Amino acid sequence: MLEISELRKRFAGGPGAPEGKLALDGIGFAVRPGEMFGFVGANGAGKTTTMRIVMGVLQADSGSVSWQGRPLTYEGRRRFGYMPEERGLYQKMRVAEQIEYFGRLHGLSGARAAQATSELIERLGLGERRGDAVEGLSLGNQQRVQLAVALVHDPEVLILDEPFSGLDPLAVDTLATALQERCRGGVPVIFSSHQLDLVERLCDSVGIVSSGRMVASGTVAGLRAAEGGTLRVVVRDPSPGWADGLPGELTAEDGRQVLLVDAAGDDQEILRRAMKAGHVEHFGVEQPTLTEIFKEAVA
Amino acid sequence: MNALALVARREISTRIRTKAFIVSLLVTALLVGAAAFAPKLMGGPDSYTLGTVNSQRLPLEAAAPETEFTWKAFPDEGTARKALLDGDVDAVLVGGAKVLTDGEIDQELGVLLQSTNREIKLGASGVRIEPLRVESVGADTRYQAARTGIAVVLVLVLFMLLISQATMVGMGVVEEKGSRIVEILLTSIRPWQLLGGKILGLGALGLVNLVAILAVGVAASAGSGVATDFPPGMPGIVAGVVVWFVLGYAFFATLAAALASLVSRQEEVGNVMSPLTMLIMITYFVAFYATSEPTGTLATVMSMIPPFSSMVMPVRMAAAEVPLWQVGLAFALMAAAVVAVLSLGAKVYERAVLRTGARVRLGDVLRAK
Ligand SMILES: Nc1ncnc2c1ncn2[C@@H]1O[C@H](COP(=O)(O)OP(=O)(O)OP(=O)(O)O)[C@@H](O)[C@H]1O
Ligand SMILES: [Mg+2]
Repeated sequence: MLEISELRKRFAGGPGAPEGKLALDGIGFAVRPGEMFGFVGANGAGKTTTMRIVMGVLQADSGSVSWQGRPLTYEGRRRFGYMPEERGLYQKMRVAEQIEYFGRLHGLSGARAAQATSELIERLGLGERRGDAVEGLSLGNQQRVQLAVALVHDPEVLILDEPFSGLDPLAVDTLATALQERCRGGVPVIFSSHQLDLVERLCDSVGIVSSGRMVASGTVAGLRAAEGGTLRVVVRDPSPGWADGLPGELTAEDGRQVLLVDAAGDDQEILRRAMKAGHVEHFGVEQPTLTEIFKEAVA
Repeated sequence: MNALALVARREISTRIRTKAFIVSLLVTALLVGAAAFAPKLMGGPDSYTLGTVNSQRLPLEAAAPETEFTWKAFPDEGTARKALLDGDVDAVLVGGAKVLTDGEIDQELGVLLQSTNREIKLGASGVRIEPLRVESVGADTRYQAARTGIAVVLVLVLFMLLISQATMVGMGVVEEKGSRIVEILLTSIRPWQLLGGKILGLGALGLVNLVAILAVGVAASAGSGVATDFPPGMPGIVAGVVVWFVLGYAFFATLAAALASLVSRQEEVGNVMSPLTMLIMITYFVAFYATSEPTGTLATVMSMIPPFSSMVMPVRMAAAEVPLWQVGLAFALMAAAVVAVLSLGAKVYERAVLRTGARVRLGDVLRAK
């Protein structure tokens, strides 16, 4: 299990802001093996800072990161795979050569690195590009190479900062499949993203960060349950005043009235009154989307 | 293979196949080769064409072994005079008693003809004259011209190589920092491995360059005949140049890496490295001055102070005989300076290379922790 607890980080301020900027304010969460964890939050919430601290690129002021019950060390991190927010590749190096090089830096033998590189190139659909210099690739293809670099040494943990940004839907699927495979193999995967529908689709659990703190986390279903659904009732040609005294919001649209009310109330009473008032066209609880949960959480 | 070697290998393999590397290697080799032939081309006419009319040739070759003589026999004085006026011959010996020339005789040729003639006549009458023995009581200056020539070429080669390799190290550091490749690299290897590998790899390329230049220089000198003027102990001088290059490179390249790690953009590299460029230039100027005054006080002192010694000492060693203790002292001081710069430079690099964004102040880095 990867455990991140109580991380704090204040960046030194410039002449304009002498007190600096508190980027992380005690953020903490845990990711289990085989779990895909979606890390979401507004711009500047502290996602990248957290990931950089986990990878040792940045030092926290306080707090800890542990892996398999022990504090994470340099040796441990060497077995992690990392995709930084700002992509970094040697522009003049060829695709295959580059992936292989990073594999070898992670300690793979020449033969193992070459083999892992070939497999990844196939898997990520870079076959025709393997001999091209990186600078000649499109953004999406560069991103595939970047992911290959993060995956080449068969990492124990994956930390990916916005791996899906700027990708077309097909590329998203290719990358997502590659990640899900690793995840099924028991690798915890953390990725940050602003594409909440994607997070909702891929992730077992989600953490919502705001101003350097984790404001909500858990499985998507769990978050939904905590948020509670909305009961939506649509009645055609109701008798006027039928909803007087009921909680919720009533709106009218071409001969129908729509009542939106917290699903936690007495739904049976509402149903009885609606049926008495007119023809009930729709009666059901609607789950909040992750976007709604997110907006609620960071509000 | 360990990380250090992997990084070094990448530096070498990605650069060695660039056109720039091959072109610059060829151009410098050509220039050095040309320099080796230059004295031959610019030297005076060391060959004479002589004519004879009813006369024996004089054994001039014995008196001037490095000069070439061509002889032509003429049937009578008339044709000889015409050949002289046409410039076909430099002088004509007539009947073993008279020399015809067109205007004044070349001074060297005149002395040669007179003395050889005198010797032959005396020899014929049984008198033997022992040639005078020449003995120098001062320094051996026989090779001075060649020594100075070698020193000038050396200083240029060392300067060019040091400045280009140091700049390459600086640019490489910023390439990795600016593009955030360091963020990935440093999660798999240590900063000293990345820095050390880069310095070693580019240093190896510099060394390949240097050895190629030296080889071309030595071969071309042998080919052009200039090598006959070389002082004894050339292998020692050449080996010394390689050692001093390694020391100088280690010093300047480490500084280049440390300075470059402070900035994040290629455009800032030149600016942040300007103090280093200045230092290399000053070293170059002092070394160049030392080619003409290799035993002067300035050259002697500077040849022992690091980092100036890295260029001034090999130049002095080429240009003059240097006492062994001075070489030893200079070497020890320079080696100590390299160790100091390496430990300081590695510290600066390690602390600054992940701090992207605005230029990091050197003071901040040194003060931190
Ligand atoms: N090197 C730095 N120096 C100063 N402040 C920084 C630095 N890096 C990040 N910050 C500040 O820390 C806060 C958190 O930034 P961070 O990059 O972690 O946000 P994020 O959640 O990744 O945002 P985004 O979604 O835009 O990528 C921001 O207010 C940012 O301005
Ligand atoms: Mg970010």
